[in-house]
Amino acid sequence: MSLRRSSAILRHEMRVMFTDPSTAIFVIIMPLLMVALMKQLFANTLAQEGLTGTNGSEFAVPGMAVSFAAFSVGYAGFSFFRDHGWGTWDRLRASPATSVDLIVGKVLPTVAVTVVQLGVLFALGGPLFGLTITGSVVGLVLLIVVLALALSAFGMLVTALARTMNQLNAIGSVGGMAMAMMGGSFVPVSAMPGWAQTLAPALPTYWAMRGFRTLILENGTVADVLVPVLMLVGFGALFTAVAAARFRFEDTKVYWG
Amino acid sequence: MDVPAVPAHSEAVLHVSGLRKSYGGLEALRGVDLDVGAGEVVALLGPNGAGKTTLISIVCGLRRADAGTVEVDGLDALARTAQVRGRIGLAAQDTGVYPVVSVRHNLTLFGQLAGLERRALRTRIEEVAQALDITDLLDRLAGSLSGGQKRRVHTAIALLHRPRLLLLDEATTGADVETRARILDLVRRTAAEGSAVLYSTHYLAEVESLGSRVVILDRGRVIADGDARELVAAHAVPVVELSFAGDVPPALWDGRIGEDGRRIRIPTRDPAATLAELLPQIAGQQLTSVEILHPSLEAVYLALTGRRYDEADSEPTRENVSGVAAT
Ligand SMILES: Nc1ncnc2c1ncn2[C@@H]1O[C@H](COP(=O)(O)OP(=O)(O)O)[C@@H](O)[C@H]1O
Ligand SMILES: [Mg+2]
Repeated sequence: MSLRRSSAILRHEMRVMFTDPSTAIFVIIMPLLMVALMKQLFANTLAQEGLTGTNGSEFAVPGMAVSFAAFSVGYAGFSFFRDHGWGTWDRLRASPATSVDLIVGKVLPTVAVTVVQLGVLFALGGPLFGLTITGSVVGLVLLIVVLALALSAFGMLVTALARTMNQLNAIGSVGGMAMAMMGGSFVPVSAMPGWAQTLAPALPTYWAMRGFRTLILENGTVADVLVPVLMLVGFGALFTAVAAARFRFEDTKVYWG
Repeated sequence: MDVPAVPAHSEAVLHVSGLRKSYGGLEALRGVDLDVGAGEVVALLGPNGAGKTTLISIVCGLRRADAGTVEVDGLDALARTAQVRGRIGLAAQDTGVYPVVSVRHNLTLFGQLAGLERRALRTRIEEVAQALDITDLLDRLAGSLSGGQKRRVHTAIALLHRPRLLLLDEATTGADVETRARILDLVRRTAAEGSAVLYSTHYLAEVESLGSRVVILDRGRVIADGDARELVAAHAVPVVELSFAGDVPPALWDGRIGEDGRRIRIPTRDPAATLAELLPQIAGQQLTSVEILHPSLEAVYLALTGRRYDEADSEPTRENVSGVAAT
């Protein structure tokens, strides 16, 4: 891997990304709206769990942030499909950039977008919705970063499996929905049926939500969120390994149709 | 035996030997041998479907060969792709530029990937932009350019790192006159600077105006390799072609080549004399056209394949590729 080459691709991808900010808007504005709408609902759920002194934002802010990050998981793949549509994919492959340079340069911007998205929502959570984070800020940042890595790795897996842009959207949406719904970020685990509660830990979003809860409601330290952090690292590694095994650089991806 | 064996391709920048590639049952390359030397332009001529793009894609590692070898500067290009890529500049058949960023950003990205340093890259961008007359377009979004302008940007990207081997695949297809002239001029200049240039095209006239060595690829095989003028002189004399509304008059056959029942071709060193001689025999016949085909690469192609070169030629069918006669 060459740092120069992957950072050239990274800067280029950022530039391309900023020409179309709609996704960034989707993952920030929409969750803010959802938090505003659903905060009260979650306040009741938390109260039922016996947590007093809460206003609902303790679940709503991380929940909507994680859910929308999960919904947009297919975004990691856009940059690959775009290149096929623009005829630049073969150009990149024929350049001295290695496949690792390409992947790193293309995936890191989506990791960055997710980190920024989660960061902005947590930062706005206080002034807008009265969210107080009593636990470790370092732990929060750590959790955000590993979650972004795990979700981007899942995005790469989806990209490796999809041959057309439609498939990317379909698999990305189903996968993202499943992550958000089943992992307990859209609906709290405590409000889910028993079988779903059993399944939830199989999803990275579950561990992210558990970590955020520890930090927000339980004065969590970095050590307290170590298990969720390691679980997310594990998911990231697993997704990356499967994606790497399935990804074929010479495969044609279909942007249109 | 005692003479040390110096490989014939020792000075070749590109050396291709016995290259084969099939797509399923379709044999796109059937044992291709080809050399391009430093400072040399080789026009790779062939109708659509001949295998030009397949050959070029294999050379730059975009597709895998089934058999054969490719060396670039003496390096095994099929095994050491990473090392070889830095020496190759490719302008693929399909235009590939990022429409949403400026021309300059397009050039910058690929220059950086090719390993150019900041300052060297900036100067080099100015140079290639000038060579292709896109200096005024550098700060425009690539997506806002006309097809010909995009094609020039596409070609400029391939030149940034002064590649040892420049591969241009149908660089002028669909390009305007100005773009075509610019690109042909650039091909000559790049070779003059010492690079090897492999220039694929399906336009006969372009090869003739390039006046370079030509390799004719037909249905996955090299059918001719040599200086364009020499090939013409060796393979072709003028041909008088007569077409009739009905059958060719039997008197005309006389052992001559006919393509079908309604057309006859008569190779002759003196078309006027031949026509004069034929006049009495065609009087009263329903003649639809008389054509003199001057010796050209087209005639070379005809002499070698027995088929007329059609620039809009459709791709070979599976039948004639596998050798089973189509009806
Ligand atoms: N990816 C592919 N899959 C199947 N057949 C292909 C593919 N690419 C090219 N071919 C076939 O291989 C033959 C050679 O194609 P190509 O190399 O593109 O020729 P050219 O560039 O001379 O037009 C054609 O018959 C074409 O249809
Ligand atoms: Mg082609």
